[in-house]
Amino acid sequence: MDAKSLPAAGRKAAIRTPGNVLPLLLLAVLLAFPLADPDDYLLRLATNIFYFGALGCAWNLIGGFGGQLSLAHASLFALGAYPTGLLLINLGVTPLLGGLVGIGAAVLGALAIGYPTFRLRGPYFALGTLAFNEITRILLLYFRDYTRGPLGLIVPFKGNNPLNLQFSTAEPYYYLGLAILLLGVYAGYRVSKSRMGYYLAAIRGDQDAAESIGIDLTTTKLKALVLSAALTGLVGAFYTVYIAYIDPESVASIDLSIKIVLIAIIGGTGTVWGPVLGATILIPLTEVSNAMFGSGKAGASLILYAVLLIVIVLFSPRGLILWLERPYRVLLARIAGKG
Amino acid sequence: MKTLSPQSRNSRRQVTQGMDLTPFAQAVVNGLLMGGLYALVAVGLTIIFGTMNVVNFAHGEFVMLGMFATYWLHSFTGLDPLVLIFAVMPLMFIFGALVQRSLIQRVVSDPHETQILLTLGISVLLMNGALLLWGPEPRAVPTPYAFAALSFGAVRIPLPRLIAFLVALLLAALLWAFLTRTDLGRALRATSENPDWAVLMGIDPVKMYVLAFGIGIALAAAAGTLMTPFFNTFPRAGVFFGMIAFVVVVLGGMGNILGAVLGALVIGVTESLTGQFVALDLSMFGVFVLFLLVLIFKPTGIIGGGRLY
Repeated sequence: MDAKSLPAAGRKAAIRTPGNVLPLLLLAVLLAFPLADPDDYLLRLATNIFYFGALGCAWNLIGGFGGQLSLAHASLFALGAYPTGLLLINLGVTPLLGGLVGIGAAVLGALAIGYPTFRLRGPYFALGTLAFNEITRILLLYFRDYTRGPLGLIVPFKGNNPLNLQFSTAEPYYYLGLAILLLGVYAGYRVSKSRMGYYLAAIRGDQDAAESIGIDLTTTKLKALVLSAALTGLVGAFYTVYIAYIDPESVASIDLSIKIVLIAIIGGTGTVWGPVLGATILIPLTEVSNAMFGSGKAGASLILYAVLLIVIVLFSPRGLILWLERPYRVLLARIAGKG
Repeated sequence: MKTLSPQSRNSRRQVTQGMDLTPFAQAVVNGLLMGGLYALVAVGLTIIFGTMNVVNFAHGEFVMLGMFATYWLHSFTGLDPLVLIFAVMPLMFIFGALVQRSLIQRVVSDPHETQILLTLGISVLLMNGALLLWGPEPRAVPTPYAFAALSFGAVRIPLPRLIAFLVALLLAALLWAFLTRTDLGRALRATSENPDWAVLMGIDPVKMYVLAFGIGIALAAAAGTLMTPFFNTFPRAGVFFGMIAFVVVVLGGMGNILGAVLGALVIGVTESLTGQFVALDLSMFGVFVLFLLVLIFKPTGIIGGGRLY
């Protein structure tokens, strides 16, 4: 897209190279970061950014590209997390298999929300996702014989075992998180360049117009939601083993759904890199706010989220990546000019 | 323990006689009484949606603010919530009007997604602001009639809930009279049906939006006031009512006031019966299943949406 807007065809190829090189350079820095022997806190912070960035990318597939506001992504995350945790704890099943069950559960959940609500115009999908999120949380609390209800699941550490995705150091989790984030970015990139991506953009712009040119609204939205749910379930599965503790309030509450939405919105919905930027801003900001006001239930970080949400929606609804786009292009052009 | 004795007597009788309908009748009565409060919250939500097509995700938090306003006014003046409702409603009307004019008005012509995100932000801000200011502990507003009850055979009707039910329906009826019998109400309805034509009739839609939002918030807060004699006041108290109101409004047809009242009674009874005969923890589950069924089979609601009366 950026190459197209430039006049001279000859400069195209030259500009495209730094456009590819810069993300690769960033990736190289991220890959090398643990080699600099940073302390565990920084590694964990980076890992959290990766996981939440991936969640933002997953939400972005339906919420950003398709413009369908989902508040159910916490429950989809929980549907990925709980089967993985339960299978690992009770039957010793590797999260690599348990995660597949979790992804399946998240996909089924997505179909249960999407099928009844995507046929309708208006705010029904958003309302349906809100209801689904509550149903999941209520059921997780209710079936305490299986889920341990409000006590939550504790994943015991069974020693350094790559098959169980359990490691005694922080570095492997870091690389695992980075891999999942890359998968999320790649999914966004592929969708944005695909036929489905253009369909979704049309739906986001004007559903009636999209339908009138022959786009099957329900199927397109359902596909995007399923893809989004599968990725969310995968993150839920891996995150469970990483964090080693899940409970309904932390993984299936509306607060987590809002956090995921916020990550995508701060960065910029419907863009490939928006959720990555959003997580890079929001997760450290949450850490700072927790450090300043305490991470207890006094809700300081939630007030921060709320204010950010209101400010972004009113003053920069397309996200902060918009502000970076022009400097980034100038930078690319300058590199190309020198080279 | 003494207050529980009628209930335990009922359940013992159920065991001995088998066919006793008392638990069922009691559950229906409890559900209808709650339904009255749901109606008031939902009517406020539906008038906002019906007029400016905005889904207010912060609605439950205005119920909570109504409860806190009542709690604080009560602790300063010692007056009964039924008296304080005359202070809480105007106060919350003004607060709602300010929120509309300063924040909501900016997104009135934006897509639903934008509006929902904004009101969601307001919701989280109000809830956690209350948490920061007043702490999480539940607070009670004591009234002399808190434990009084009427008895019809074995069925027991708690007096504060009956009062709340009757006042809620009275307020809904007053709103209906306002919309159908006064010029201002007609102007509001005209705006809800077609804002562009309303302008041609000399109506300022922005004023109508402010009015509708203020009324909706005042009604939500009134519901909060009415429930203080029997529900504790705390920052998350409104979450449940906000969610219930969405279900009710979809069930009744979005923007339909009569539908909201009927839908609220249906939801109240559904919740109560699920709680009584399935499991208390699953009462909300029954409500949400009903919600999803409505979305699948009758998304326009039991009456049909779109009309503001």
